[in-house]
Amino acid sequence: MLKTPLLLLSLLSICSANSVAQNPVRNSESVLPTGEQVAAHINSRDEGEAVSRKLSIVMRDKRGKTRHRETMSYRQYYANEKRTVIFYLSPKNIKDTAFLTYDYNDPQLEDNQWLYLPALRKVRRISASDRGDYFLGTDMTYEDIKLETRVSTADFNFQTIDTCEVDGYPGLQIEGTPKSQTIAKELGYSKTLSCVDKAVWMVRQSQFWDIKGNLLKTVIVSNIEQIQGIWSQQNIDVENHKTGHSTRLIFSDIDYQRPVPDDIFTTNAIKRGL
Amino acid sequence: MWSANSKNIKRQNYQLTLEPEFILRFDNKIKLTTLGRFRSISLDALSPENVTDNAYSPYSKPLFIGNSSELELREFYVEIPSDNYYFTLGKQQVVWGKADGLKVLDIVNPQSYREFILEDFDDSRIPQWMANIETRLGEWDAQLLWIPEQSYHVLPGNDALYTPTSPLLAPKPPPGVSVDVQPIDRPGRTLTDSDIGLRLSRFWQDWDLSLNYLYQYDNFVLPYQRRSLTTNGPHVDIEPQYQRTHMLGGSFSNAFDSWVVRGELAYFSDRYFLAKGTRDSDGITKGEEASYVIGLDWAGLENTLISGQLFQSVVINRQSATLRDKTDSTLSLLANHTLFNETLELRLIWLTNTNIGDGLVRLRVTYEWRDNLKTWVSSDTFYGSEEGLFGQFDANDRLTFGIEMGFE
Repeated sequence: MLKTPLLLLSLLSICSANSVAQNPVRNSESVLPTGEQVAAHINSRDEGEAVSRKLSIVMRDKRGKTRHRETMSYRQYYANEKRTVIFYLSPKNIKDTAFLTYDYNDPQLEDNQWLYLPALRKVRRISASDRGDYFLGTDMTYEDIKLETRVSTADFNFQTIDTCEVDGYPGLQIEGTPKSQTIAKELGYSKTLSCVDKAVWMVRQSQFWDIKGNLLKTVIVSNIEQIQGIWSQQNIDVENHKTGHSTRLIFSDIDYQRPVPDDIFTTNAIKRGL
Repeated sequence: MWSANSKNIKRQNYQLTLEPEFILRFDNKIKLTTLGRFRSISLDALSPENVTDNAYSPYSKPLFIGNSSELELREFYVEIPSDNYYFTLGKQQVVWGKADGLKVLDIVNPQSYREFILEDFDDSRIPQWMANIETRLGEWDAQLLWIPEQSYHVLPGNDALYTPTSPLLAPKPPPGVSVDVQPIDRPGRTLTDSDIGLRLSRFWQDWDLSLNYLYQYDNFVLPYQRRSLTTNGPHVDIEPQYQRTHMLGGSFSNAFDSWVVRGELAYFSDRYFLAKGTRDSDGITKGEEASYVIGLDWAGLENTLISGQLFQSVVINRQSATLRDKTDSTLSLLANHTLFNETLELRLIWLTNTNIGDGLVRLRVTYEWRDNLKTWVSSDTFYGSEEGLFGQFDANDRLTFGIEMGFE
C-alpha cells in the first residue's frame, strides 16, 4: 500500500515516455500494450505489504541427484525500500545460513545485502554486483531472488513482441534487453523473453539468454492462486540449459496478514536465526 | 578426519568427532540450545589430555576419557526474547568483528591452539558461561556481556605436534639454568574477575558500524620469572599469571560496486610482552597495543571471491627490553571459487608475516555429494624461519582428508 502512489507516478511517467519512445504492437484483434506498460502492470500488482511463507528448494543435477533445502522467508515493503530475509532451516550443512537484502526504490541506490554464514558465525556484506551470481547453489541469481515476481525496469528495456499462451492462459510476450553491456555482464543475461498472464499480470514463463546469446535457462511459474485476495505463485521451476541443472521452488504457508516485525530485517536477527 | 605429514605421508592422526545438537522451543519463543562434542583422536601428538587443560575453568573443562578422547558440553544456552530485550544466557560463543582468519575483535572467547590455527574457529573457540543481553538504544543496537567464567587460551603441552617453539612465544632458558614451572595463578573471584563487554552497532549511510569495549583478562598466560642463585647454580621459577586489559575498538564494512571494504581496530590499555634474555627482572615488559585489520573483498568474477587483508599490531610505549618488534604485520589472501551449483568448492588461503617472512598456504577442495554428506581434501604448508609463528611448524605440513555427515 505504501508503494502504490510511487508506482502510479512511475506508471504515468512510463506511459508518457512510451508515447514517444515506442510504437504499440498491433495484432489481428487489438493494439497491444507496450513492453513498458506491461512491466509497469507487473510491478504495480498487489503483492501485499508484507508476507511470510515457507520455501522449499529442490535442486537436481543432470544425473538426477537431488538436494533439498527448507527455508522460511519474510518480505516487507517500506516507504523507500523492500526488505527481504530468508532463513535456512535444513539440512544440517546449510542450516542457520540467512540472507538479508534492502532493495531501494531509487535505482541510483545500490542494494544492501548481507549473508550470515554459521560456520564463521559472522554476517558478511555482499557487494551488489554479486547479483548475477547464483544464489546458494540454485539456478536463481541473487537478482532473481530479490525481484520475486517483478521485473527490473532500471536494468531492462521491455518491448511487447506478440501474444502468447502458457497452459491455456493467454498472455503477452515481452522481450527484455539490458540497458547497457555493463548491466548485461552483471546480470549474466543478454535477453529475456517472458509470457505475462494479462489477467493477473504475472509472468508465467520466461527464457533467459546468456551474454554470448545462447539460451541459458527457462523459468516456469505455476500453481498461481489467490491467497488472502492476492495472486500468488506456489511453484517456480528453473531449468538451466547449459548445465542440465534444475531448481524447483515450492512456496507454502503463504500469509499476507500476519504482521512481520521490523527487527527481523536486521543483521542481528539473521545472526540469531529463527 | 585423517591427516598425515605431507613430506613423508607419516600419519598425524585419525579423528572422529560427533556433535549432537538439541533445540527445544517453547510457546513463548523461548529457545534452549544444547550442543555437545565427543572427539576421539587416534594418535599421540594431538591427544586431548596433552594440552594445558588448567587453562579451562572447572565449569568448562571437557571430560577426558582415557588418553585419546574427550567429551564436552560445547554450548548450552537459553534465548529469551522480550519486547525491549533479548537475553542469551548460558555457555555460548560470541563473535565480534569483520575479519577472516585474523583476530582483532574476535577475542571475547578464548581459543584452543591444539592445532595452532588450523582448526576452524567455530571448533577452536572455547565457549564460556555468560549473560548476553541485547537491546535497542535509539538508532543503535546494544549488546552487554557479563562473563563470570574464567577460561583462557588452551595451548598444547610439551612435545605435542603444535607446541610453540618460536622464541616469540616460548622463551628458552640459557644452558645451565634450572627451571621450575609453578602452578598458574588463576583469577578466582567470580564477580571482581569477571570479563565485561559492550558493543554498540548500527547501520548508517550504508555502513555497518560497531563500537566495542571489553574489560578482560588477556587469554595468553604470562610466564613471569623469579630468578635465584642456588647451590646448584642459577635457577628460574616460572610463575604464570594472567593480566587484565581494557580493549576499546570498532569495526566497519560497506560495499562499493564489486568491492566490499571492511575492517576492525582495537586499542589495548595494558599489554604484556616477553622480554629479551635477562634484560628485564621478571621476563615481562609492559606497554599498550593498537591493532587493526583492513580487508578488501572483490566479487567481480562469477561465483568467485578474492579477498586480501592487512593486519598490523603496534606496541605503544615499547620498552627497549621487549622481544617483539614494535610493529608486526601479517598479510592474508583468500581465493574462493564454487562450481557445479556450489557442490564443489575450491579455496586458497595464504597468510604471511612480513616481519619474519614466514607463512602458511592452505588449499582445500570440498565436494558436497548430497544433503548432509560432504568430503574434503586439504593441504596446509608452513614455510619460513623457525623463529616465526608459522615457520616454527615448518616440519608439520599436513594433508587432510575428511568426511562430514549430518543426521536429522
